Amino acid sequence: MLAFLLPTLLGLILGTFGSIFATIGISLTDWDLLTPAIPAGISNYTDLPADRLFMKSLVNTLAFSALYVPLTIVVSLAVAMGMNRKLWGIGAFRVAYFLPTVSSPTAVGLLWTWIYAEDHGTLNAIITAMGGNPVSWLGPKMALYSVVAVNVWGAIGGGMIIFLAGLQAIPRDYYEVAKLDGATAWQRLRYVTLPALAPSIFFQAVLTTINAFQAFDYIYILTRIGNGNSTMPTLVFSIYRTGFRFFRMGDAAAQAVVLTAIIFVMTAVYFHLQKRWGEPA
Amino acid sequence: MKLLATTAFALALASSAQADTTITYALWGSPAEGAVWTKIATAFEVLHPDIKVNVEVADWDSYWEKLKVQVAGGTPPDVFAMDAPLFADWQSRNVLLDLKPYIDKDPAILDGVYPITLKAYNTGTGIFGLPRDFQTIVLYYNKDMFDAAGLAYPTDAWTYDDLRATAKKLTLDKNGDGTTDQWGFWDGGYDMEPFWGALVWAYGGDVVDPAAGKTLIASPEATAAFQLFDDMWLTDKSLPTEQQLAQFGYDGFLSGVSAMGMSGHWSVPEYSQVTFHWDVAPLPLGPKGRATSVNSAGFVVAKDSKNPDAAWEFVKYAFSDAGQTELAKIGLAIPVRKSVAESPAYLDQATKIDHSLFVKALDYAHLKPVFKGYEEWSSAVGDALNTVWSGENSLQDGLAAAVADGDLALAKNK
Repeated sequence: MLAFLLPTLLGLILGTFGSIFATIGISLTDWDLLTPAIPAGISNYTDLPADRLFMKSLVNTLAFSALYVPLTIVVSLAVAMGMNRKLWGIGAFRVAYFLPTVSSPTAVGLLWTWIYAEDHGTLNAIITAMGGNPVSWLGPKMALYSVVAVNVWGAIGGGMIIFLAGLQAIPRDYYEVAKLDGATAWQRLRYVTLPALAPSIFFQAVLTTINAFQAFDYIYILTRIGNGNSTMPTLVFSIYRTGFRFFRMGDAAAQAVVLTAIIFVMTAVYFHLQKRWGEPA
Repeated sequence: MKLLATTAFALALASSAQADTTITYALWGSPAEGAVWTKIATAFEVLHPDIKVNVEVADWDSYWEKLKVQVAGGTPPDVFAMDAPLFADWQSRNVLLDLKPYIDKDPAILDGVYPITLKAYNTGTGIFGLPRDFQTIVLYYNKDMFDAAGLAYPTDAWTYDDLRATAKKLTLDKNGDGTTDQWGFWDGGYDMEPFWGALVWAYGGDVVDPAAGKTLIASPEATAAFQLFDDMWLTDKSLPTEQQLAQFGYDGFLSGVSAMGMSGHWSVPEYSQVTFHWDVAPLPLGPKGRATSVNSAGFVVAKDSKNPDAAWEFVKYAFSDAGQTELAKIGLAIPVRKSVAESPAYLDQATKIDHSLFVKALDYAHLKPVFKGYEEWSSAVGDALNTVWSGENSLQDGLAAAVADGDLALAKNK
């Protein structure tokens, strides 16, 4: 029995746990890839607050996540509820919402740069046709919101599938009983749908948070500038840049550990909340 | 006849028996550049039948990533291309072979090489590389746009104020829809090359101190230089913003939306594909005269190379008149040998512009700084400057942040 599990277990132990411990180990050294690592204690961690490039990427990632996580959950839940009905051609709608999930972020990101383009972009063409002033969608004031919108759009499909599965598992009887008792549509949502969906919502919250902190592809494509840099560097971008371009693997590993710690804490908070609120009242 | 055949057979046998040394030469560049290098390698193999050269070409980003992994893993390419500003990042980590012992045996090979190109690789304790080719920055201008506006072409008497005034005149809304569709100039505003480094020097400022411990771009002279850039970009709006530029790709001159731009010789092959007419002029004069930046690409030999002697033979060949003549034909860069740079191989290229302008620029060129941590410093300074061009920060605040972040990056790389 164990022999059959061995390949997977080995992969887990060496691949996953091995690289986690290696990253923690590297984060306690000064290592430039090319010369032997020098033990550095926790200095890579204590130096992080003074690293302005890192702090900027941390602030960007936190701001992004604060918008992206709730929006993705609310929008994909709303879409799933809209899709949860017997309607001719509903399959086509579901495919349309799921399409971004299976498309290449690089190709789709480039399409969005067209939509957001300042002078010849689709969005500004519509706004100016209606008499408005063109907006600098990817400029410093709007970039965060524009980037969040694209990422939410890209995540609706995945969230919709989870919520749709959750919705279809709710017995029809619940709604009929609620109707007989005179519950309004809002009350049916609040007291039937949401409690029944709680496990899906928590699962989706964990997943979306992890994705938010690791977000990179759309953001980089939409905000990149010459020299391989970005006007909105994220944590993942900072880790890559610090390690592979600045020869500072120890600092990059410390940043990666901080990123993991944030995700770990957020997940723990969700589990705690699920225990408190997830139980039937 | 039989004798001849036997001799040929014996020779073939001997050469195949001798071709036991294989070296690898890695470089960044396009497949077309890789093809020219394979040709140079083949010419080298004819002279040295005992050595085989594998040419490995990759794009800029993957080249450096792959190189780091290969060198860290102890299996580096024997010879690899180096960008001079990044040289110190590698040399200081003790992964490059000191070529001085080889050069001392053969000192004549340095004769006729432009001295400024040798400077980057000479640490004082050794010579850890040889220049392969170099770049100086000149002004490119779109003749069709100048003609349409009835303006005289840039001359060598131009000042930066002339550049500003002309750029403003060439910034137009041609179709009258209320948005600019032609700009007088373009630049990314990020790295000191091609534009702002030369501008700072022409105004009498400097970029970093010689010990690379202090960022100097907020000095009064440098601030005056950046003020001109700020005026052109934010007041006159003669340059497309980063977001506007992104609509046309990242080179405003190439995409035909900007009348002028600054670049090195590396742009010539690409620019010769366009349909409009263009030419080159020296960089304008600043209050402290004319300045441009010179930067070289070089060859380095890995310290862990199993065949350093063969690697050196290849470097020596590519560095020779024969190798440099072949290299000049790529048309991307300027040969480091005076004899080749002043020969038809370089001067009479398919693209008919004054190629000697790039060589003459050496007279007033400053070396693009070479120090450990260049890339980190350049990113720190570039990120801060970018907040000025995007309108988030004033010029004074942006320069102060660039100095603070730049100095932090320099300190981390001491």
